Amino acid sequence: MIERYLEQVSTYAGDIDGLINLIAWFVGVWFLVAEFVFFYLIFKFRHREGHKGEYITGEEKHQKRFITIPHFLVLVCDIFIIIGAVRVWVDVKQTLPPADATVRIIGQQWAWSFVHPGPDGELDTADDIKTVESLNTEVGKVYHFQLESRDVLHDFSVPVFRLKQDAIPGRIISGWWKATKTGEWDIQCAEICGIGHGVMRARIKVQSAAEHASWMHENSPVASIASAN
Amino acid sequence: MNRTNATLVRHASRALGVAALLGLALAATQLSAPVDANAQDETAAAVAVDPERGEKLYALCAQCHGENGAGNPMALAPSIAGLPQWFVEGQLKKFKNGARGTHFDDIPGMRMRPMSLWLKQDSDVVAVAEFVANMEKAEPVAILEGGDPEAGKAKYLPCTACHGQNGQGNQALNAPPLAGMSDWYQLWALKAFKAGIRGTNPLDTTGALMRPMSMTLADEQQMLDVIAYIGTLSGE
Repeated sequence: MIERYLEQVSTYAGDIDGLINLIAWFVGVWFLVAEFVFFYLIFKFRHREGHKGEYITGEEKHQKRFITIPHFLVLVCDIFIIIGAVRVWVDVKQTLPPADATVRIIGQQWAWSFVHPGPDGELDTADDIKTVESLNTEVGKVYHFQLESRDVLHDFSVPVFRLKQDAIPGRIISGWWKATKTGEWDIQCAEICGIGHGVMRARIKVQSAAEHASWMHENSPVASIASAN
Repeated sequence: MNRTNATLVRHASRALGVAALLGLALAATQLSAPVDANAQDETAAAVAVDPERGEKLYALCAQCHGENGAGNPMALAPSIAGLPQWFVEGQLKKFKNGARGTHFDDIPGMRMRPMSLWLKQDSDVVAVAEFVANMEKAEPVAILEGGDPEAGKAKYLPCTACHGQNGQGNQALNAPPLAGMSDWYQLWALKAFKAGIRGTNPLDTTGALMRPMSMTLADEQQMLDVIAYIGTLSGE
């Protein structure tokens, strides 16, 4: 349902959409049932000549069932939602599959900047590639991220990945994704962070292995120096 | 329903109707306001000469640079009031096209770049630059300490070639006035030029001229000295 409007580009996007759909269906059905009962009762107990209003305490069993039966049914639905939510939470947030690469993502008012590991695959070495507004990654690889903030709260959000993670000053927050297709998509800030929050944007480029290797070779400081010599 | 209630209901319905019409009229006014980001080029060109346009656009700048354009070091925003229009226009265009504000260590620049992108058309850039140029010059608060203006006088000599003896700037050489510029910002800019944070982007051709000049100042003390000397200049 959601993918019709926003494509799924990470391995867990479908799971998150599935959970949202599950909640939407449960809530939607209960909304319709509640509205039907509500209007039915308004109609049934409408004002009629010769009928006096009656005060109901709601203590009789046949009256209480209008509360108790839906109550227990909603609890059953909650159990399904909790099972689904915990499953997705464990898979997406509690589990870190082994990384193929790690990138550092830094939020500041009002820009995203990125540190990519260079050809050596390690962060904090001479061949790191630092960029602003553009994150370059490879399709089909598990990326870990180290999310930091230089100033205030931000939230690293890639809607097509269904990924949202707060960035908190003073903390390094880890997470992961594995992109399923090549292309270029929006990165947003999903936490109000000041006057420029609405224009704090960047792009994530998911490239094929060959494209990414070529990009890395062209942009790595060490590779550039080596080729210049 | 008795007569009093019926009258009340009738009056309430009329009041609601009038309120709805007023709401629609207000919404229509807002939709046609000249600050609409999607305004057509023709419209923008027409309002570019309107000083109110620049004033409206400046409301966003004022969030960091202040109502009087005196700047705010806490927001990493330098004083801008009274800067020449050509310079403000040039810097805004640099931010818009990525010549500034796209370096990994350019923290103040990265704050400014998204702000510049609010100016959708060239005419918006002209309007806000014109407004800033016409603002009364604000005296920024001096923050730096430890600079010796006497020692800085000699170090300022190479700067005079472009920025002028009195720090008045020179449009022909794309050199902005230095007198009256926030001292903390001058220090940051000198360090940024020297470290290659500014003046290394291929799009920043004027910044590239400043980068080698920043190398003439060996250390932070020399920068403080020259900035202290600039603080004594009239800018005239």
